Amino acid sequence: MRRLRALRAGATLLACSAVLPAAAAEPLRFIACPVYRDVDAGRKSGCWLAEDAATGLRYDVSPSPTKPDWNHEVLVEGSVATAQDNACGGVVLDPVRVSILPGSCTRHSLPAEGFPGRRFVLPPRNVRPLSEARKPPAGPWTDRSFHLQFEWDRSFAVYQLDDYLLDQAITYIRAVKPREIVVTGYAATVPAVVSGRRIAERTQVARERAEMVGESLLRLGVPKSILTVQWRDAAEPAPIDAADGLAEASRRRVDIDVKLP
Amino acid sequence: MRGRTAGVAAIAMLAALAGGASLTRGEVAAARWWSAGEGRTFPERLDYANALGSLRVLLSGGPQRTKGHPFFEALGANGRACVTCHQPADAMSLSARSAQERWDATQGRDPLFAAIDGSNCPTLPQADRASHSLLLERGLIRVQRPWPPRAADGSPITPDFTIEVLRDPTGCNGRGAYGLAAAAPSVSVYRRPRPVANLKYLTAVGFEYDPKQGLPLPKDPESGRLLSGNLMADNRAVTLQVQARDAALTHLEFTRALTPAQLAQIVDFESRLYTAQQQHATGGAVDAGGAEGGPRLLADSRPGQLGSDNGRPVWSEFAAWEKPGPDDAALTPAQRAWRASVARGARLFRERTFLITDSAGINSPMGFGNPVRNSCVFCHNMSQMGNDVAPGQVDLGTTTQPFADPQPWLPLFRITCLADAHPHYGRVIQTHDPGFALTTGRCADVGKITLQSMRGLAARAPYFSNGTARDLRGVVDYYDRRYSIGYTEQEKQDLVHLMEAL
Repeated sequence: MRRLRALRAGATLLACSAVLPAAAAEPLRFIACPVYRDVDAGRKSGCWLAEDAATGLRYDVSPSPTKPDWNHEVLVEGSVATAQDNACGGVVLDPVRVSILPGSCTRHSLPAEGFPGRRFVLPPRNVRPLSEARKPPAGPWTDRSFHLQFEWDRSFAVYQLDDYLLDQAITYIRAVKPREIVVTGYAATVPAVVSGRRIAERTQVARERAEMVGESLLRLGVPKSILTVQWRDAAEPAPIDAADGLAEASRRRVDIDVKLP
Repeated sequence: MRGRTAGVAAIAMLAALAGGASLTRGEVAAARWWSAGEGRTFPERLDYANALGSLRVLLSGGPQRTKGHPFFEALGANGRACVTCHQPADAMSLSARSAQERWDATQGRDPLFAAIDGSNCPTLPQADRASHSLLLERGLIRVQRPWPPRAADGSPITPDFTIEVLRDPTGCNGRGAYGLAAAAPSVSVYRRPRPVANLKYLTAVGFEYDPKQGLPLPKDPESGRLLSGNLMADNRAVTLQVQARDAALTHLEFTRALTPAQLAQIVDFESRLYTAQQQHATGGAVDAGGAEGGPRLLADSRPGQLGSDNGRPVWSEFAAWEKPGPDDAALTPAQRAWRASVARGARLFRERTFLITDSAGINSPMGFGNPVRNSCVFCHNMSQMGNDVAPGQVDLGTTTQPFADPQPWLPLFRITCLADAHPHYGRVIQTHDPGFALTTGRCADVGKITLQSMRGLAARAPYFSNGTARDLRGVVDYYDRRYSIGYTEQEKQDLVHLMEAL
């Protein structure tokens, strides 16, 4: 009921471009075939839309760090944004995560139809060039955990999210010279029903995620002798910044636990 | 000695511009061509005429004596040196025109036409011109890759796809010692030699992460340096040292290993070379009127900078030509028009967006989306050079159906993905060159080819890894078809003029 109210509020705000109440930020989760709206506000400015079959509402999922492929279904997880700009012709979800699924879709593109789209803005979580010196972390140093978050059933590090988070982790690791680093990969293997479909991640994707991060740390210079790589299925949600408050997305993660001497 | 060499180059240029008034075409061609072991000194500056003006080659750090130098001496049995396929007049690559001139001058006896890879297949009659048609008509060298692929340490990689030969017009993918059924199974593909110049840009690293692989960049175990991944078409050789060793064993048929001293000499020489077009037949000097074209800026600039972030915008070297400059009154109308066109082309390159679709390395797996709206500089993003700051393995479709233009002269392979389907082609793919997948063994990498260098283009037609674009207009037309860009005729001309100036 609360979710329905939020959706109605979102639909209304689409028309009036007002600001949603805080209660509207309850996460949605659905599977859909994405639709591309071909706005042209410069590079990377296209809009991505997805309709929730349960309500018939069309959402703007463009703010996701990963965008859809118009040939494939997507899993959408997101909250109705508190600020709605109606730039693309859908209720804006932000934060939002889009995961490409194997299922096929008929590719479809809409014209701009007067929607302006949004100019691309470099996301705040972007890796800086090597030519820019990293700021050493301020002390006092403590045991600390870093977290990466992943697309559904994939272990590929998300560009301008996971690479940034990994860079944060290695900057800390290089400064503190830990005695041990434990990498734990997680997978959401407990089935859930989404848009009438029962979905679960593969058990082995927890290992794939852990090994990918382990390999990344080795490439970044972490000694093998201090690195432990492990994995867990049936992941529970965790309050990690990488998921921006999206509980379901937070199950798909890797923890990097840095332990000091 | 240094003056004599520069003079030869100048004569060659003048003769060509004058239609061969002072030297015969054959004499000009002979002066342009660097044969193995001829012992000339390589000067600090060389200028070579080409159909669109002239190319300049700079050697930083002073002239190089070539007598006894392993880049210039025939090391193996076939009489070739590195310089044979990396000719200064051809921007340190090899044009199809130079290959034709060399055939005519030597009746096909030049080491360039060595059976091993200067012919369509070593099993063909080598005295027959038709046996070298891919080199003569397309500038293509045969590249024989082991199957299954091998890792850098020589261990076999288990590929996640199978490969079958659907068409074998050269006979080198199914005859005798060549092909998948041979005792040492291999796949033969045909590629353009990549230019050995401006290499500080191709080995530069801008970021510690490779977004296309979702991993930090690997390091060279020998030097500990991060690897750029931008040297070879299929990224099989990740350092200049590895490339030199591989090239000596294959192209030069050198049966021993290069010594550390030889390797150091080769890498030192290659790393000091800079080349770019310097003069345009219509537009004049590309570094006049406030523009900064030519190789000097390449030699003097810092590599590895992202044009949209910490570097200068790509091809902003020609920004001064957007408006009339101080020398405008002295220009001919044709000069003025050409400069303006180059400047428009540079802006188009950066700013004209279009929908990029179904291109692995762009639309997958990094999450940019399929499609994604962007411009040429999305991939050609490094300041001064236009290569990819990240490792540049991208599938434009030039070698793979349905996007590739018909290429009946090349082999055709059928790839069947065994695990996940290819993100854009599905489970079964037809390709003339699997590209990066012949190095990684991954179906998702089929058709990916490392971005080409964009400097000195006027000196080294044809273009794309398989030579399918006969001229620069062919390059623009391919992109226009592939991505349904809808360039106007003026826009096409502007982009061609830009590339003529590079």
